[in-house]
Amino acid sequence: MTGLLDGIRVLDLTMVYAGPVCTRILADLGAEVIKVESVPRADVFTRANVYPENEPGEKPWDNGGFFHTLNAGKRGISLNLGTEKGRELFVRIVGISDVVIENFSPRVMDNWGLGYEELKKIKPDIIMASISGLGNYGPLRDYYMYVPGMEGMSGLTDNTGYPDGEPLLSGHAYGDWVTGATAAAALMTALYYRMVTGQGQYVDISGREAVACHLGEIIMDYTLNGRDRTRAGNRHISMAPHGCYRCQGEDSWVTIAVENEEQWRQFCRAIGSPAWTQDARFADAPGRRKNQDDLDRRVEEWTGQRGHIEVMRILQEAGVPAGAVLNMKEVNLNPHLVERGFFQVIDHGEGTGRRPIARLVPARFGGMDGLPPGRAPRFGQDNEYVFGSLLGLSAEEIEALARENVAGSRPAFPPGRPCRTDLVAEQGAGWFDPDYLGELRKVYGDDLGRTDPKQMK
Amino acid sequence: MATRTGDGKPGRAFSGLRVVDCTGGIAGPYCTKLLADFGAGVIKVERPGEGDPTRGIGPFAADDPDKEKSGAFFYLNTSKKSITLNLEKEKGVRLFKELVKEADVLVENFRPGAMDGLGLSTDVLEGLNPGLVVTSVSYFGQTGPYRDYCATNLTVSALGGVMSTMRPATRPLERPVVAGGFQAEYATGVLSFITTVAALINRGGTGRGGRIDVSAMECIASTLTGHLAEYPYLGLSRRTNPFAIHGYPIGYSVPCQDGWISLTPGIGGAPNIPLLIERPELMDDPLFTQPRARMAAPDRFDGVMAPWLKDHDKWEITGKAQELRLAFTPVLSPGELLEDEQIKAREFFARAEHPVMGRVTFPGAPAKLSGSPWQAGRAPRLGEHNGEIYGSLGYSGEDISRLRAEGII
Repeated sequence: MTGLLDGIRVLDLTMVYAGPVCTRILADLGAEVIKVESVPRADVFTRANVYPENEPGEKPWDNGGFFHTLNAGKRGISLNLGTEKGRELFVRIVGISDVVIENFSPRVMDNWGLGYEELKKIKPDIIMASISGLGNYGPLRDYYMYVPGMEGMSGLTDNTGYPDGEPLLSGHAYGDWVTGATAAAALMTALYYRMVTGQGQYVDISGREAVACHLGEIIMDYTLNGRDRTRAGNRHISMAPHGCYRCQGEDSWVTIAVENEEQWRQFCRAIGSPAWTQDARFADAPGRRKNQDDLDRRVEEWTGQRGHIEVMRILQEAGVPAGAVLNMKEVNLNPHLVERGFFQVIDHGEGTGRRPIARLVPARFGGMDGLPPGRAPRFGQDNEYVFGSLLGLSAEEIEALARENVAGSRPAFPPGRPCRTDLVAEQGAGWFDPDYLGELRKVYGDDLGRTDPKQMK
Repeated sequence: MATRTGDGKPGRAFSGLRVVDCTGGIAGPYCTKLLADFGAGVIKVERPGEGDPTRGIGPFAADDPDKEKSGAFFYLNTSKKSITLNLEKEKGVRLFKELVKEADVLVENFRPGAMDGLGLSTDVLEGLNPGLVVTSVSYFGQTGPYRDYCATNLTVSALGGVMSTMRPATRPLERPVVAGGFQAEYATGVLSFITTVAALINRGGTGRGGRIDVSAMECIASTLTGHLAEYPYLGLSRRTNPFAIHGYPIGYSVPCQDGWISLTPGIGGAPNIPLLIERPELMDDPLFTQPRARMAAPDRFDGVMAPWLKDHDKWEITGKAQELRLAFTPVLSPGELLEDEQIKAREFFARAEHPVMGRVTFPGAPAKLSGSPWQAGRAPRLGEHNGEIYGSLGYSGEDISRLRAEGII
């Protein structure tokens, strides 16, 4: 079985994070995604991060783990849209594509004569999507921002964190993911519409608006009651206990959410019914919420004597929603995710070898699941396929493209910089597991990692 | 502008598509809300009496906890029709089968295995309607060791790994915090929508429906994308945002005169910061020209910035910074979002009249589609469409009254 979007071709001009999330989702669903970079403008931010064993290697642009994850399963070409020849070839690819997606600053595509109205002349049913922070029109459309802008200007950041602390940016560029996933949702809608009517259209995605759509009930407390909600830590408007509790061991935590009185009784029994659980102040949810500081301290006295996985197991057996706060090591090795095949081992080739990467469409289609995606494209790897097989250029013509600064195989790239592991460890921003390859091999097989002799420690 | 609207009359993407929605809470309803707001006919099947539990969750209009006044329910169920149906009774299951026979999509979020228990297994549904797309939304999926675990948004945010990264860059050992609202639920809703429509597009070619198994734990874990690779590539397990790790911009909230701004020096550094803070003598200081110098000395960076920021308000700072091509942006509250001039110019907020709640303002289109735009109507009252829907299945007014008396609807 091939992918659900078999036969759909997506021309992808996006860089960094939100756009690549969108097109990775489409690629996971089976679309043929052609990622367009150029010698002067490669997807540097993600290509230059997270190197295997922290070694950038001879081609640092081809070994970034961020890039591998965000771009698995896509094809890649280099094409310089700053040249007339580049734009001419681009238009020819548009003619055989279904979707064009870009995340330049608003106006860039129009300035190149590659706006929707122009592309529609080439391919009347083309679907074109533009991703930006604040949208393609409006007085602030030129605002320049990354994920902190999309999250911060939506209300999410103001509503994340502890009441006495600063508004907290997500730890994983969540706003970029929301933007990319929303773009994918919009494109699925447009593709369905085209399937039924034969018509293409233009889609304008504002990252900030996409994130605001994920804050429905918070925003409506303002529109209905004028109440401007702000960050409340881990607390819930009606449940208690509802929090994140320290467990035995360094940086070890568990979340507990007690949804109703039945679960509260189960919780009390599971922790051995200590006397304080009979306290009248904790008899019902309103009382527990009112006395939550005291409640949380007592819950933590119990969790603090056990590991986070053990706490989860005990409470889950009692029917109480408890979840260990898993770190990146634990997620990568998690038995539930492993059994369900959430991670797929992909051979990223020379310099990286086989590593697990996450699905970006983490759903199972009974009997319709496709194969794991291919590896992320090496810089310019599909120039021959696209310019030769699809557009019919001769080998000489393709060669000439390199000389004319239109296409090439070596991006302008800063020297590969390894992660400053010393600073990360010193500032506590993360910790390093020296035996990560050994741990991964136990779960994913002995052939994981690089295969060059230097690596076969 | 030219590219804003398409030619002719706007279409509705899912016009004619029939969806039976057996979900409650947030993830499932958000998926079917998107289908409904883009034109599908969504029939929400609710339990007689109480309905979707979200009807009992605030905010309520005028803070009145009435099940017809929940803003949370309203937002998540715009454009749908509501019927009541008791699936614990055999007659209820029979009625349900009649509904499903006519449908294109069924979205359900029962506990894994519960559909089988009701006599509505995959085989039975496929027998009834081979073209049906069945999307099953659950916290952990239909298989695997955690399948029967119980959970809320908080539980899967922890198990999906995102909470472990939710600490301030300056205090990475602080107690992890869950993102505001119900992000794991919404993320699951969007992915359920995407996969459902993908299956429908595939059905257009093959005529076959299919079964989709969506797990919230996996959905929220997938939002970590490249950050998950840090372990298999570097052995790194991160406790805070990526900016602090990779020596790129330090992104965080910093106090200013009237609140907070997000300080995000760009990928190429932020050479113009000294101009912003009126300290041109610092133009060549590596602190501003080299991202990694900032990483090594975050306190010094903050020390230089803080006094000037404290003297200026968020829009003043943002306006000036943007002119200097600095990616600084204000941290807005929900109330400030409504007042934002860009939001107003783009008419982001939608309005609808509700018979009980009155005029309701709510977040609008997640994306602006020129040819088949988003367009939402109000949420339904509990069982509001019993007459219409059961009538269309051939039940008379008398039949419907009897079904009501028997507790079936």
